[in-house]
Amino acid sequence: MRRLVAAEFHKLFTTRLWLWLLLGSIALTALYASLAIAFGDSPDNPTPPLSSPGGQRTVFSVGQGAGTLLAVLAAIGLTGEFRHKTATPTFLATPRRGRVVLAKLVTYGLVGVGYALVCVAVTVAVALPWLGAKGIDVPLSSNGIPATLAGVVAAVAIFGLIGVGLGALLRDQVATVVGLLVYLFVVEPIVTRIPALRGWTVYLPGAAANALTQVAQANQQFLQPWQGGIVLAGYGIVLAAAGTFLTVRHDVT
Amino acid sequence: MTDVAGRIVVSGLRKTYGGTTAVDDLSLTVEPGTITGFLGPNGAGKTTTLRMLLGLVTPDAGTATISGRSYTALPVPNDEVGAVLDAAGFHPARSGSNHLRVYCTVNGYPPARADQVLALVGLTGASRRPVGGYSLGMRQRLALATALLGDPRVLVLDEPANGLDPEGIAWLRRLLRELADQGRTVLVSSHVLSEVQQLVDHVVILHKGRLVRQGTLAELSDRHGRVVSVRTPQPDRLLAALAGTGVDRARIQRAGPDSLQVIGLQAAEVGHLAFLERVELHELAVGRSDLEQAFFALTGQTGQQPALVLKEVS
Repeated sequence: MRRLVAAEFHKLFTTRLWLWLLLGSIALTALYASLAIAFGDSPDNPTPPLSSPGGQRTVFSVGQGAGTLLAVLAAIGLTGEFRHKTATPTFLATPRRGRVVLAKLVTYGLVGVGYALVCVAVTVAVALPWLGAKGIDVPLSSNGIPATLAGVVAAVAIFGLIGVGLGALLRDQVATVVGLLVYLFVVEPIVTRIPALRGWTVYLPGAAANALTQVAQANQQFLQPWQGGIVLAGYGIVLAAAGTFLTVRHDVT
Repeated sequence: MTDVAGRIVVSGLRKTYGGTTAVDDLSLTVEPGTITGFLGPNGAGKTTTLRMLLGLVTPDAGTATISGRSYTALPVPNDEVGAVLDAAGFHPARSGSNHLRVYCTVNGYPPARADQVLALVGLTGASRRPVGGYSLGMRQRLALATALLGDPRVLVLDEPANGLDPEGIAWLRRLLRELADQGRTVLVSSHVLSEVQQLVDHVVILHKGRLVRQGTLAELSDRHGRVVSVRTPQPDRLLAALAGTGVDRARIQRAGPDSLQVIGLQAAEVGHLAFLERVELHELAVGRSDLEQAFFALTGQTGQQPALVLKEVS
């Protein structure tokens, strides 16, 4: 398994996509952090004030946005095997295909930790001076901020598992990436605004990630952080298991 | 008997796609130290058979083993078997060298092994360029390099001459001969017999998913290379009589308004039949056709297609 994971890292780092999506994650994190701070205290903002621990946790949770791009990277990493027909040499070298999926889960989970650590650093670099300039002194070791930053790392890593899992289930690259983005940016935001579904929508992936990173919003309920983590990881594992047993074992022609 | 190292044994293999039977109750054996041509027209089921042999396609029935084990049960498959299935299977942005190093990492081979096989297939100069810029012939060479990484005892190559220029084909022949002479098993598929005729010792001919002939090239030549030419004012009657005896219609050809050519029968058999049917003969001669004709006859093709056709990449 160690060799398979090493080979997955080798595949990842011998094309450039990881770098572009990391730069995208950095830009996205800087943008979200700026928006969260610039509009954090405007009256129509549903988040708590920046001076409160909840408001600060929300600011420091923005790195989880990298999860979306990491899920795209992971999905492309898995579906690319089928798109470029490298599935043939890959499965010739490792006929037990579940091991290939497992190696990709480990790899993209670890890459997610790397992405998240970079994005946490970007968040801190943007937020600390800016909040300081607003006269808000943020102690990084309190107000629940360490838990939020740990939650960002966990959430981004788990989005890697979701990308691998969804890719394994769908196998088609365009369908996987478009499906992922449409779900996260269109479907879930709409569904979570339907009041009748409020008891259910807390279990959706985006809401579970928000729970994990302790986002606070006046008009939305979230699970406990640990519950969010379990729910989010559950999506990744269930998708990967379904993909492994339903579609990855299909004939490679 | 069946678990000789390097021997390929296919037994009762069957695969159906939708309602179409791609491979039907196929059994064959490929021995180490030989080059075996796996022949048949496009759609005969060659690729499906090879993919079942290599664990990529699950058969509906039957088994395929290499050195007595199914491919998926081999401890380190690339140590035992090298395969070229098509000139695809590369990420276009990854260099040839890095492509090979990925599979070195998977199998625990030293990275220097990648450089060795690159030199062996003559790709050293292009190894740092992305595969997206490779020609079809270069991709074939890289696919072959991938197959050779583990220094395997068994080589399974699906249409490896595809995209190679005549010089490349000559190079491939020399390389495969050398590998077979070292005692390795080499199984090479092709839909053009003339492409592998000078290369193979044994042939396995597939038609519509079924085995139609297995043996040495010499046997095929003896049995099917003979052609009997008949000139008669009543070619239609003789043709009908021949067809009535159960001779495959594809083996009988009109060679002109008053002549027929029959592949795979003795001159005496044709003459006797003409005598029985009271068909007047003006000429009865035995010649040799090339093996291509025999191949067409066995696989029910018309023989009208040129010997070297450009193939689509599947």
